[in-house]
Amino acid sequence: MHVEFLGIPRERAGLSEVELDAATLGEVLTVLSARFPALRELIPAGALHASVAASLNGDLFVSDPSTPLTSADRLILLSADAGG
Amino acid sequence: MAFGYHGRYLRIDVSTGHAEHVPLRGELLRQYIGGSGLGTRLLIDENAATADPVSPQAPIVFAFSPLVGTPLTTSAKFAVVCRSPLTELINDALAGSGFAIAAKACGCDAVVVVGRAREWSVLIIEDGAAHLEPAEDLRGDTCSVAEGKLRAKLGPQYRIATIGPGGERGVRFATISHDGRHAGRGGTGAVLGSKNIKAIAVRGTHQCEWAHPHELIELSRDLSERSFGPATAKYRELGTATNLLTLNRFGALPTRNFQRATFDQASRFAPAALGAAHARVRASCVACTIGCEHLYAVDGAPVRAEYESLFALGSLCGVGDTTAVLRASRLCDELGIDTISAGGTIAFAMECVERGILGERWLTFGSGDAVLKAIELIGRREGIGDLLADGSRRAAMVLGHGSMAFAPQVKGLEIPGYEPRALQTMALGFAVGARGADHNRSGAYEVDFSDKVDRRHATVDSVRHAIDTEDRAALMDSLILCKFLRGVFTDFYAESAELLQAVTGWDVTAGELRDTARRIIAGKREFNLRAGWTPQEDTLPERFLNRPLPDDPAAVLTAEGLRELVTEYHRQRGWATGE
Repeated sequence: MHVEFLGIPRERAGLSEVELDAATLGEVLTVLSARFPALRELIPAGALHASVAASLNGDLFVSDPSTPLTSADRLILLSADAGG
Repeated sequence: MAFGYHGRYLRIDVSTGHAEHVPLRGELLRQYIGGSGLGTRLLIDENAATADPVSPQAPIVFAFSPLVGTPLTTSAKFAVVCRSPLTELINDALAGSGFAIAAKACGCDAVVVVGRAREWSVLIIEDGAAHLEPAEDLRGDTCSVAEGKLRAKLGPQYRIATIGPGGERGVRFATISHDGRHAGRGGTGAVLGSKNIKAIAVRGTHQCEWAHPHELIELSRDLSERSFGPATAKYRELGTATNLLTLNRFGALPTRNFQRATFDQASRFAPAALGAAHARVRASCVACTIGCEHLYAVDGAPVRAEYESLFALGSLCGVGDTTAVLRASRLCDELGIDTISAGGTIAFAMECVERGILGERWLTFGSGDAVLKAIELIGRREGIGDLLADGSRRAAMVLGHGSMAFAPQVKGLEIPGYEPRALQTMALGFAVGARGADHNRSGAYEVDFSDKVDRRHATVDSVRHAIDTEDRAALMDSLILCKFLRGVFTDFYAESAELLQAVTGWDVTAGELRDTARRIIAGKREFNLRAGWTPQEDTLPERFLNRPLPDDPAAVLTAEGLRELVTEYHRQRGWATGE
């Protein structure tokens, strides 16, 4: 599946997108924590920090680690406070 | 006297130069706290709702708060509250930095200015004594030049708030500027300018005592430490400019006067791209540990790059030239006009030209030069600028031909950078806002960017979330704390109660502060009712209703759907909808 980064998640990951294999949101976060240590601050205890949001395909936002994902999904990780 | 307060405000009639201290009851202070809340109450008590906003009778309130002058991070802020010449409803605009501390040190919790000076003047307040000095030599000066001249003349211990040429000439969205920041929305600068006041300079030595200073210092230290964490990282490391890419990715970036919601040149405005093209430095308000300001060099001088300015003067006008947009932002700051209303009104005029309603052929989408020229004309009220200086709603009234349908405003205030069809909880927040379409009094975009709602299909369940963000904003604007801190609180009301307890000694609770927030919102509504507001004004322009976004067919907001949301909002607020 495809993961996009925006805002601080992009700063921490050091790139704008990545491909990985995962069946749930929790698995995505685990893989990202292992691959990008700088992201761990945003993924405490395997869940999203309140300052980070995750959108599935640009539609609904998800936060439950058990949320199922498919290989065709695009997950967008972004700074939650999108305003200014 | 109560801790954290002086227990009085300074009322100055600049027609006569008479100044008097007016007592503030402890009960009233506890009910409205300070900032927007206190300013709203004072404005109601001054019977401002029916006074022409730019008449001598109209008061303008500078309100401080019990937290001003404490070591609490981001607390150096003040609210300017008046009847807006743009909306003719209540308007509260906030700005940060040393003016708040120095003005409160004059020995008052607010300054109320009425009247009209006989000649252009500087209002000088020193330790509670006020007098006027001639300001003829400052006429036409930009905000920063006027502030610099006054500081050189009066001394560095003074803190100075000024208007620019926009305020002098009555631009209905003129700002009041201090230290490069602006009480930006709704035309506060035009109100001060109508009083022939070019600037207010303050200096004082009166410090308030705190009820529990040791506890306050501990709380301040803890809040500062938390303010260095991930909850504020976006503001500190990237600045709000980063929002532009995010909103573009979600099809929510207003483009070409809200005709589209994605901008093909958005990537140019990403912080990394801006930093590659323009040298970057960071800055912060006085007494702030976040440091959200990211300034980018253009023509050898730094320019603040905030999301709202970049969107309004960039994508909304179809301009992708970052140098032109930063120059336009700086020009607005120097003229002392609101970047959101300037960009919104110019984008509206561009669409009028595109549709053949307006004959200014040079005013075309995508032209940075046109945006700069239009801003200059607005600031001088020359040519088409005279019409645009009145904002998009009044311009649409004059231009006709159905242009009101796409004038990007609610109640006269131009819409900030969030496409309502793609962010429908925010759409509700815009529709019901007391000062018009506004992202600082309703933070409902946060709800749209969460798993609480479906951002493109708002239901009545969205209403309580919208109310919650509005209540929190009302309290933050009255305490006053910067909204960029909001993410560091785990229980905002309980923690706010702790802060207030330490400063004031009140046995205030989270529940009381929730009631306080609602009282402040109700106060704004009370003012608006007196000013002639009707519930029918709680809506959006026709453009946003019943038609999908061209680049996102799933994003449709029906007129009926919005009406249901607004009705439910009124019901949950306890307001009769027909009132």
